[in-house]
Amino acid sequence: MKVSVFAILKRTFEEAHGKSMYRFLLYMTGVPLHLLVYLFYLLKRKDDTYEATMADVEQELAHEGRRVIYFEAFEEQLLCKAAFFQEKLSNEEIHRQAEKLVDERFKEEVMLRTEGRHGVRKVTYYTYFLSLLERPMFLIASLVPGVFMYVLLLLISNPFLKYIMERLVQSVFVIIGVGILVFSILYISPFDPASNILGESATQEQIAAFNQIHGLDLPYLQQLWNALKGIATFDLGSSFAGSEDVASSIANKFPITFTIAMFSVLMAIVIAIPVGIFSATRPNSFLDTTFMFIALIGLSIPNFWQGLIFILNFSIKLNWLPATYSPGNALSMIMPVIVLGTGLTASIARMMRSSLLEIIHEDYIITARAKGLTKSQMLWKHAVGNAMIPVITVIGLMFGGMLGGAAVTEKVFNIKGIGSYIVDKQFIPDIPAIMGGVVYIAITISLVNLLIDILYAFLDPRIRSKMKQS
Amino acid sequence: MEEKLHNRHALVLSKEYPQANFTWIISLIISVIFLVNSFSFTTGEMNSLVFAMFIAYLATTFLQLFITRRMKRDLLDTGAIQKKTRRLGYVQLLSLVSGNVFAAAAAFNLINERKTPEYTFAVYMFLTQLFVIAISAMNMFKPYVTDTFLVSMAVLLVITVFHAAVLIAVAKLVRETDAPRSMAMIAVFVLLTAVTGNLFALLLGWSLLLKSISNDHSRILKWHVMWEKITRNSMAVFGLFFIILMLAISVTSRFTFDYDFAVENDYGNILQTPSLAYPFGTDNFGRDVFSRIVFGARISLLVGFASTAIPVVVGGFLGGIAGYYSIRTDNVIMRLLDVLYAIPGILLAIAIIAAFGANTTNLIIALSVGSIPTYARTMRANVLMVSNYDFVDSARALGTSDLSIIFKQVVPNSLAPMIVKSTLTIGGAVIATSSLSYLGLGVEPHIPEWGNILRVGSTYLESHSYLAVFPGLAIILLVLSFNFLGDGLRDALDPRLD
Repeated sequence: MKVSVFAILKRTFEEAHGKSMYRFLLYMTGVPLHLLVYLFYLLKRKDDTYEATMADVEQELAHEGRRVIYFEAFEEQLLCKAAFFQEKLSNEEIHRQAEKLVDERFKEEVMLRTEGRHGVRKVTYYTYFLSLLERPMFLIASLVPGVFMYVLLLLISNPFLKYIMERLVQSVFVIIGVGILVFSILYISPFDPASNILGESATQEQIAAFNQIHGLDLPYLQQLWNALKGIATFDLGSSFAGSEDVASSIANKFPITFTIAMFSVLMAIVIAIPVGIFSATRPNSFLDTTFMFIALIGLSIPNFWQGLIFILNFSIKLNWLPATYSPGNALSMIMPVIVLGTGLTASIARMMRSSLLEIIHEDYIITARAKGLTKSQMLWKHAVGNAMIPVITVIGLMFGGMLGGAAVTEKVFNIKGIGSYIVDKQFIPDIPAIMGGVVYIAITISLVNLLIDILYAFLDPRIRSKMKQS
Repeated sequence: MEEKLHNRHALVLSKEYPQANFTWIISLIISVIFLVNSFSFTTGEMNSLVFAMFIAYLATTFLQLFITRRMKRDLLDTGAIQKKTRRLGYVQLLSLVSGNVFAAAAAFNLINERKTPEYTFAVYMFLTQLFVIAISAMNMFKPYVTDTFLVSMAVLLVITVFHAAVLIAVAKLVRETDAPRSMAMIAVFVLLTAVTGNLFALLLGWSLLLKSISNDHSRILKWHVMWEKITRNSMAVFGLFFIILMLAISVTSRFTFDYDFAVENDYGNILQTPSLAYPFGTDNFGRDVFSRIVFGARISLLVGFASTAIPVVVGGFLGGIAGYYSIRTDNVIMRLLDVLYAIPGILLAIAIIAAFGANTTNLIIALSVGSIPTYARTMRANVLMVSNYDFVDSARALGTSDLSIIFKQVVPNSLAPMIVKSTLTIGGAVIATSSLSYLGLGVEPHIPEWGNILRVGSTYLESHSYLAVFPGLAIILLVLSFNFLGDGLRDALDPRLD
């Protein structure tokens, strides 16, 4: 068992060393260990015979007149090539190119002969370290200084963990990028929050004091650092207007938006997937055309107009449902959920239909039918599961759009969610509030998409095998 | 038995029969909508005008149903639609009086047995012109009209007569792959009439020129097959029709509509209910909602096209470079775009508008930035696929430079998915524009834009709901048209379906 651990470590180190990013990480995480080992390596290298042998071989080959032989061959090749492509190359040019090729070829030959004849291998730090990794004693001795590197090695030895780690790191970079982007956009804004809030009659001193309280007089990089730190530590300071704590107002408003969005997604899945499957199994029938027509209309309705029409019909004319949302009242949630989910329902239904239609015409479905499966067995065992894969991606992507687009729906139904919060704050512009709102939504979306990607890695055998190959 | 089977095939393959079916269904639905709206449940009054429309549409529906039955019988009995049935199409043309474009299009489709894309273009060119005149003519019920009204209406009428003549000529003379040389002269005049915004004239003119002058047979065939596929999908053509109608209205409204009705306050006419003078009523400042919607089309189309064209170019360029050059370039560009991709488009737009203020230019920029990554991804995927093809390899082996390969080989061959995608997302841009305007973050509030009109309407939802209903319908129709056209283009351009 222990032996296999060494083998894994060594193999992973070899593989990871090939990629520059990982090589850098390996040396960074194991700095103390590598320093020590490098000292030993320098001491040991003195009695190395490789260089000496190589020099011998080089002289031998030069003596044989190899260079001239190579040169003639390459020159002829180059001349032939130039003649074929009808290029006019000067003699010097051909000479220069031939010399270059000869150098390369000669070096290659020298290395080949050195290794072939004497059985010595070139010792680099890398090979030296690899040979050490095989020894159990070395591993135990180096466990303390190299613990981070070993953890990293173990992590990337497993394709799943490696994939998850890579996706996580990628998400972190994206989130930092989002923070920088949104902050920079608001920073270069020509508007001045101080004079917007304090009014036109504010004196220079008042404006300066305001800017100092909110850190607006600091240089760009300092402000950016504060903002990013604030997002990471959930401490965004107080908003410009009304001095409420931004992080806690976002924490209060976010769950409302999230709940409505989740219910919309649920509604969309429950309605759209059966509709999509039904349409795909009876393509171009009357019901299919009708469903897809309705779906296209659903895609084309602006949320706010649909909300207004719902309010007009169900609240004002029929008086069935309350026109505005109140947190405790489940009935008041029905209209916002339907309005927010319409577009998603329509997209999923269309996507499900086209994806399933594509799969039904694949060869393996014909095989399934040929081996005697009934239509429904074929559909449920072989087709639907595979057709769901792109659909789930679409759900993940659309979920982000829904959280962003919720602002409009929230305004129509007077919901105090994160979307309407951002819209309310943008007139000032209240930098911490807008930034916090946008970045936290972006983080949520990234996390949802990360989760979907990881789920895929477990569920989809094609992705699994691709991961193992790479 | 075999003949019966053959006739069944004829029924399925017939181009006219499905459209006829669709026509009577949609006519029935519209007539039911008119019926419901002709009667006010709260006051118990009948609106005679709306009821008359209901009767007209119902009559069209029955006539269309009758035609559809005869078509089915003809097809099942003989395998072809008989001359007698085709003549019924002339009767159905009367449905134009009630503005039923579906029935009119089906009738035109039925009358002519030989269907070329040019015939379809000519029919819709003519229909667009008729609708532009009809919509502009609504101004005659106004207290006064703009100075250029009479002149421009006369010009429009002359053009319409010319278009009708061209329609007949096209029906008689143009064949699948060629047209008489004399058509070239007509084609030039048709091209000139496209300045009214009627892009069907542009399509028809170009197509006629190609067929009458060009000797390049493969080029004609390519053009013909592509438009044949698109025009076969009647919903896509209706979508194109509505978009071009909106465009033509935007162009001609400059001369036929009075901008004052749309923006000047008129406190003597506040919150009027729909009437002939004010077809969609007036708003809380006494402005004519109909004129406002007509002028709003201009903004919606402008923002929709601009905020699609900019990301197509920028995203296409970035995606093209990422897909064509090394992995390192690819990684840098795509990871940077991932950052943009992580922020939902509307939120990014709100943040940009928060920073730079709400006006049309900022709106276009804000909407453009958010959709750069999706286009870059589409383009990158296409370029990755195309640059592995043999013809690219051969160009490279011949020593062509990278830039020349990209612009001459790769880009033209990866454009089709970009065109389809952009058509489908213009609708989204139109919705986003009106949504942001509705939030007060889009176009300046005094400019007549559909979202702005709705914003005013939403405050009078209880008492004057028509203020919110009509601009919303305009948005839906335009977005729906783009979506139908996009679907049609996808079906026509998708090589996988060949």
